[in-house]
Amino acid sequence: MRGPRYQNRIELLQGTLDLLILQTLQWGPRHGYGISQAIRTVSADALQVDTGSLYPALHRLERQKLIRAEWTVSDRNQRTRVYELTAAGRRQLLAERSRWEQISAAIGTILAHPGAAE
Amino acid sequence: MKLPLWRRRQDRELDEEIASHIRLAIADRVERGETADEAARAARREFGNVVVVKEVTREMWGWIALEQLVQDVRYACRALRKAPGFTAVAVATFAFGIGANAAMFSVIDAVMLRPLPFPQPERLVSVTEVDQRRGDAGSSSVAWPNFFDWRSRSRTFERMAAYHERAFTVVVGGRPVHAPGAIVSADFFSTLGVQPVLGRGFRSDEERAGSDVVVISDSLWRSEFGAAPTVVGSVTTINSRPFTIVGVMPAGFRFPISVPAAQLWVTCAEEARTEAPGDTPMTAERGAHFIRVVGRLGPGVTIAAAQADLDAVSAALAREYPDENSNRGVKLTPQLESLVGGTRQPLIVLFAAVGCVLLIACVNLANLLLVRGAGRGREIALRLALGASRRRIVVQLLTESVVLSAFGAVGGLLLAAWSIRLFVQIAPTGVRGLDQVTIDGAVLAFTAAVGFLSALAFGTLPALLEARVAPRAGLDDSGRATAGRRHGRVRAALVVAETALGVVLLIGAGLLLRSFYRLTTSDPGFDGTRVLTAKFSLPDSRYPYLKQIAFHDELLADLNVLPGVQAAATSPLPLSGLHYSISFELPGAKVPPSQQPSADFGMVGPGYFRTMQIPIVAGREFTAADNDAAARVIVVNESFARRYLAGRDPIGQRIKPGLSTTEKETPWREVVGVVRDVKYKALNEPSRPTYFIPYGQGLITSLFLAIRTAAPPAAVVEQVRQVVHRKDPELALYDVRSMDEYVTLSVAPARFQTLLLSLFAGLALALTAVGLYGVVAYGVAQRTREFGIRLALGARPGEVLQLVLGSGLRMVSAGVAVGIVGAAFATRLLGSALFEVHPLDPATFAAVVATLFAVALLASFVPARRATRVDPISALRTE
Repeated sequence: MRGPRYQNRIELLQGTLDLLILQTLQWGPRHGYGISQAIRTVSADALQVDTGSLYPALHRLERQKLIRAEWTVSDRNQRTRVYELTAAGRRQLLAERSRWEQISAAIGTILAHPGAAE
Repeated sequence: MKLPLWRRRQDRELDEEIASHIRLAIADRVERGETADEAARAARREFGNVVVVKEVTREMWGWIALEQLVQDVRYACRALRKAPGFTAVAVATFAFGIGANAAMFSVIDAVMLRPLPFPQPERLVSVTEVDQRRGDAGSSSVAWPNFFDWRSRSRTFERMAAYHERAFTVVVGGRPVHAPGAIVSADFFSTLGVQPVLGRGFRSDEERAGSDVVVISDSLWRSEFGAAPTVVGSVTTINSRPFTIVGVMPAGFRFPISVPAAQLWVTCAEEARTEAPGDTPMTAERGAHFIRVVGRLGPGVTIAAAQADLDAVSAALAREYPDENSNRGVKLTPQLESLVGGTRQPLIVLFAAVGCVLLIACVNLANLLLVRGAGRGREIALRLALGASRRRIVVQLLTESVVLSAFGAVGGLLLAAWSIRLFVQIAPTGVRGLDQVTIDGAVLAFTAAVGFLSALAFGTLPALLEARVAPRAGLDDSGRATAGRRHGRVRAALVVAETALGVVLLIGAGLLLRSFYRLTTSDPGFDGTRVLTAKFSLPDSRYPYLKQIAFHDELLADLNVLPGVQAAATSPLPLSGLHYSISFELPGAKVPPSQQPSADFGMVGPGYFRTMQIPIVAGREFTAADNDAAARVIVVNESFARRYLAGRDPIGQRIKPGLSTTEKETPWREVVGVVRDVKYKALNEPSRPTYFIPYGQGLITSLFLAIRTAAPPAAVVEQVRQVVHRKDPELALYDVRSMDEYVTLSVAPARFQTLLLSLFAGLALALTAVGLYGVVAYGVAQRTREFGIRLALGARPGEVLQLVLGSGLRMVSAGVAVGIVGAAFATRLLGSALFEVHPLDPATFAAVVATLFAVALLASFVPARRATRVDPISALRTE
């Protein structure tokens, strides 16, 4: 059985990390290392994805058929496993994005009106 | 942990993926100017613990489906907990539906499906003789010589054995014990494939007269012989003769399947004996058909091949013994099937009935779910809007149904466990397996399968309809009403369907009830109240033929001295399950023996007709003077007189039944009386031509005592016992019962079927009422505003009441119409179970229709009343 430590971490990150992965793959296929580097670079080093979260998430999304994996040879002549979005993945990305925007808008509204909590 | 093969490949790929991640990271760092060593160390540090990463990643493989399932089940449980009223009604409804099925299946499993407890039971076949002139109906018992010839001449059987039931009196420690048992051929145990646990079975030379050996049952061994292993080889007294006990059967061995179970087995040496030199032993009487035969087919032999084999043997026998064997064929039936026999039809009818109950329960649940779904449109629309796929939602809703059905199935199993005890109590005796009905693995598997399929059946339609909600429509308030109206027609159709099923069940039950009433109030032809009956068997060894007659005469005289007692003797006793038939000759044309007519036959003592209060239509009844020394006489019943003595005064006519005892030749007998017809075999079968002979002129089997008492029969039992004990202390009196008990026993199968079908029909009616109530009540709730407006505009409450009742009654009318048509077909299944009631009995149909409408009115009245009390103001305000 999975230890409580990892269970917590995955559940905390799951929704957001999925969204980030799907978003990163939107512009083309990437391997695991590439995804982690992209998230890191685009967020200007603010987000660093732990490999212990990244790989489980990739394999889960693959099983959910939101992404598809393939072995290819990279530009550095290395055999790598490359992930790409499926049609379902694109739909999921859209839904997750709108949900994220709703949530962040809602949270933003609340934070903007400190009196509203009462 | 050892991974399965396909997992190991996946595992290697993960290794490779991680390695490539690290290599890529190193390459990046080297490009940025780090040394190879530094880059490798930093990349590894950055990656983290490879083993842990692999472990958590691996856990993603293959668990998604299960995780989703767990999630769905959790969600379903939460949703059900939030609607306790709905959940309670749904679970209870389903529990009743599936409980009835589980209970009924456990009965069917034990009686019809469970194989016989013998090795390779599928190779066992029952072999009967058959009167080829009468087809399948002519199936009958077998004569010993025919069995011996089949056994020696057939080639397709590994073994073949014969048996017939017989009661014995065993004397243990000076005390007579009545023990039911069987007379068997030597290969009886080896044919069944069961050997004694102690000692041995019979040897083939032990079929010869004079080998008095016995095998006893485990329970007799324990109860009468203290379970002593030394019992094998010891000698015990059976029917007043010494027998050597050669074996003890294992506990649980039960064959023949009789009630009570056989306690001992002796060989047919018992019937190879003769009383006087020159007599023909029963084992040589080719015309005496009373044994049963079980065969074990050779390996790989089909029943058709064995049938052909025995057909050839019996054709040869018919040529060799034309008098006894012309027109006599052989019929093979799988042993299990022959044991199930007549219980198949009623069980199938009952199983069909519980199937209908379950269908009704499913329809109700579908309705409940639809009603609930209409109220959940908003929740589902929201989840659709948030990106859940319709498929996910359907799966989720189905999970809810499966969870519901699982709870219902657990409740149903509890109900079944409780109710099978009731089933077994009211079940007729003598049905194989009925005493072994349990909730076993097969029943659990059946219940689980039926529960799951039912969940799909009642859950699919509502789930599909619910998931069809437009994401936006559900979010505003108007969506509720539209969804409700759209499903209204489906709900009405479901109510029509369940009403129709209910009508079919109720009509079936109604017909059986009516038939059962007719049966129990039908005239058996005798008066059984306050008649005590009992049996005893006189051992041939101490009571030669004439002494037996004298014993009966004296015993009856002694009993008749008791105050308020009028005693007689007879065999068979009406409705006791025994039945004899003997061919006879009429004066005039001489016909060969195989063409002679045959009629039912009874041996009775003086005063029998008076004791049983069977009216004498003409002539007289037997007296003590009709003895061996007197002229041979006979009494016939009205059916016999009508059929064979028509147009003449029966009194004084002569008949020659094929029965002789002390006479040199079969004697002609003069008819001295005609009696009213009596139901001998069963209350629901017409009386057959029957003749009676005084036992003083033809005692061929042990007799029943029939004793009419002034006091209740139970009060006289002890006195009767004492009288018998005084006459012969070695005699055991058994089967002590009132005549009413035999009447009750004879209708037990009908009562069983009637009671259960009525129970199921009642359940169906209740479920239908609940379903109708639910739909009408929901309709009222939906139209609250409409009723408010109508009332506000001046509609009288009576008009609103009519409106609601009308909608309920319309659905019921349609259901009743469909149901009547269905019942007209379905009641044919009952066919032979009905006694003096036509399957289309108009009174029953009318009564059922009236009952249904009454219940429907009641079920729609409660919500209709609510509609009339709608407060117009608050109804309008909810909008």
